[in-house]
Amino acid sequence: MLLDIVLWFALLSMLSVGGISAIMPEFQRLVVETNHWVTPAEFTQLFAVSQAAPGPNVLISSLIGWKVAGIPGALAALGAFALPASVLAWYVSGVWERFKDAPWRATIQRALLPVTVGLVLSGGFVLGTPHGLDWKSALVMGASAATLYATRLNPLLLLAGGGVFGYLLF
Amino acid sequence: MVEEKRWLAPADFAEVVALCQFLPGPNIGNASVVLGRRWFGLPGAVAAFLGLMALPFVWVLGLAYLYADYSSIPAVKSVVTGVGVAGAGLFVGTAFKLGKPLAKKPAGLAIVAGCFLAAALARVSLLYVLPVAVAVAWLAARRKIV
Repeated sequence: MLLDIVLWFALLSMLSVGGISAIMPEFQRLVVETNHWVTPAEFTQLFAVSQAAPGPNVLISSLIGWKVAGIPGALAALGAFALPASVLAWYVSGVWERFKDAPWRATIQRALLPVTVGLVLSGGFVLGTPHGLDWKSALVMGASAATLYATRLNPLLLLAGGGVFGYLLF
Repeated sequence: MVEEKRWLAPADFAEVVALCQFLPGPNIGNASVVLGRRWFGLPGAVAAFLGLMALPFVWVLGLAYLYADYSSIPAVKSVVTGVGVAGAGLFVGTAFKLGKPLAKKPAGLAIVAGCFLAAALARVSLLYVLPVAVAVAWLAARRKIV
């Protein structure tokens, strides 16, 4: 089990171009559909816990590890998720600085934007529909998305608002 | 780091963030590695990474234990699900913000739609979606249509 987590998460780590948000659809698929470690509803709840706590998004990986194999699972999951990518960051940061003005660098950045947007959108959709797409989840998700887009309100307030809606609706 | 400690110029900071968004892995974790390396080499990178992760790790696990204790209460479960769905909405809102420059680029929007169809609706693995999407986007970027 622990080895499974490490191998899967290390693989995910290398795929997560655009950060943890972009990998969310795959993360959910892997944890919920492929390995049945948690249900879709539990996944969204663990995501909620990781969002409500201060700290980087990547900690959702440690919560999945914790759910599957306790504290050792949490440590292994976080390490597996962060380490391969960190090693890559270490090497690439040298190269990246050297090619500061190379035209291909701008091309890569332009190319990755629509892909990242599509994947982050997918991650939101998958996380926001733990019981399938119904009017309740569409309402809460849409309201939070629109408020984030249109105002400068602190996202924590939006999460709190989601909690109130959740109490009334789910 | 920019305003209080003046370790970095604002332009440098933007540069590092851009790099880390492009690299796989947790953006902020990568940023800590890149910056730690720049100032202190390997020990700096390790220290920066651990410093960033250690306390939040304890926090989030504490919260998870607390939640596990109360998760059998239906109301608690409803509230937490609501928080999760609102958090998912933040992703959606972020995607729209990030995607603003694409609004007038049909090719860019088509790539966004393709990724969404494949990853969110058809639930195809990113192992397939990502290489195809990046290849298409790369061609589009070279022809300057995204």
